[in-house]
Amino acid sequence: MSPSAASTPTLAPEIADPRLYLDGIPHERFAEIRAMPGLAWHPYGDNGFWAVTRHADVRAVSRNPKVFSSAIGHTNLWDLEADALEARRSLIDTDAPDHTRLRRMVAGAFTPKNIRRWEDAVREITVELLDEFLAEGGGDWVEMVAAPLPIRVILSMLGVPVADGGYLVELSNYLVEGTSDTQSLPPDAFGNTTELRLLPFNSPASHALFEYGDEMRSKRRAEPCDDLVTHLVKAEAEGGRISRHEYRHLFHLLVFAGNETTRTAISHGAMALAAHPDQWQRVVDDPDLVEPATEEIIRWATPVLHMRRTAAADCELAGTPIAAGDKVVMWYASANRDEAAYTDPFRFDVGRGDNEHFAFGGGGPHLCLGAFLARLEVSVLLQEMAARRMLLEQRGEPVRVASNFVHGVLSVDMAPGWGP
Amino acid sequence: MSGTELVRVAVDAERCIGGGQCEMLEPEVFLVDDDEAISSVVGSGALPRPRADVVVHRCPGAAVSIVEPQRPSE
Ligand code: HEM
Repeated sequence: MSPSAASTPTLAPEIADPRLYLDGIPHERFAEIRAMPGLAWHPYGDNGFWAVTRHADVRAVSRNPKVFSSAIGHTNLWDLEADALEARRSLIDTDAPDHTRLRRMVAGAFTPKNIRRWEDAVREITVELLDEFLAEGGGDWVEMVAAPLPIRVILSMLGVPVADGGYLVELSNYLVEGTSDTQSLPPDAFGNTTELRLLPFNSPASHALFEYGDEMRSKRRAEPCDDLVTHLVKAEAEGGRISRHEYRHLFHLLVFAGNETTRTAISHGAMALAAHPDQWQRVVDDPDLVEPATEEIIRWATPVLHMRRTAAADCELAGTPIAAGDKVVMWYASANRDEAAYTDPFRFDVGRGDNEHFAFGGGGPHLCLGAFLARLEVSVLLQEMAARRMLLEQRGEPVRVASNFVHGVLSVDMAPGWGP
Repeated sequence: MSGTELVRVAVDAERCIGGGQCEMLEPEVFLVDDDEAISSVVGSGALPRPRADVVVHRCPGAAVSIVEPQRPSE
């Protein structure tokens, strides 16, 4: 293991076992690690990682990409063989200058101003889903509202024809499976011939998504439209600033990244509102609270539990020496409940003031590209629920994903009610 | 509060990743270009220091900086 120095590091309690998360985030363990001096070391496989759990330390790692690299190792806990790392590399596993170049290819479409243009489209989809949920008298909130909303929004931004929506939703659901240990597809599904370890999420659905992206690229080359794929194709034509590999992985990331994450935010959001009817009543009574309530829901949900970096050089964090090559893992799930950063972090407060949460990353250059889109989706949902004076009542426990990476909810039964 | 010090902000185009935090926080002062996705300062770029500090703190590319203090306002 890495901590070579004479000093033996403090050992973190177990936080990587996916089964722990079947009962929710192990918050007491994170609180224990936050209180330890310096950084705690967590054994993992035949190596281990530094568990970065405090808000300030997560920020320090995220904002120092020269030292804490996204490109050297994998951005997940486990390592990949060198060829697999290359084959699977996307925006998220790059450092500047590649990162800056690739990010700017798409960033223009995701600015606050340009995301606001999607508000009507998001509202239309939201209203349709909510009305269906109400007409059915409720049901699985994940399947009926939380899952379809983000995928339908991103597909329309990309310019995927409505008729293909179902197919891409299916692919994307297989990819979600790939983030946990269940994999129901045979390796040669969708005509895949690539070794699974070379595909994102080890999933043949990734192959299908690449193929679909290629097809769309050809179509938009022939006939440009006003959509994201056309935008990428144009960038490519104007000087080859994006390689075929980069295009395919960007398309893949755009379809996937906002999907499970926003679904998770909306699922935990509904559960939080059902559990705190007083907080929901505040939002219904005061539309100005939609914005802070959206932030609070996203903090509360923390859909991505951690991201990993790899030390590019010997360095020090929180007084603990780190060796080049060490894994450094930012636990957003912990930073977002850090008592040093929030008053009463375990209180769900839709009026929370300064809420600098790290659900979208710790403030560095990999800050979630889709943050403004996700915020728009959650706030439009809150507005439309408030307009209907809808209440949510949770029936039974949610089914959670056994994952230390995503805070996923597979299903949660909700019944609608009406407020005063 | 009267007498808040005004400062001028600037964007380092090289470091900017088009994250849009500046545009979200201070839409009157920053605008991210649609195609290049690089932020720039529109107008004088003057902000009260505490608000400028927030933008500097939140910029994911560490691209925003305070260039010079301006004369105190009323
Ligand atoms: C509530 C919903 C969401 C959450 C919690 C979330 C969370 C995150 C996190 C934690 C990161 C990594 C940050 C880091 O490594 O520092 C990230 C990156 C990313 N997200 Fe999101 N995300 C959400 C929604 C979306 C949506 C709707 C999109 C749609 C396009 C999206 C696209 C991306 C992309 C492309 C990246 C990679 C950015 C980069 O490496 O520069 N996300 N997101």
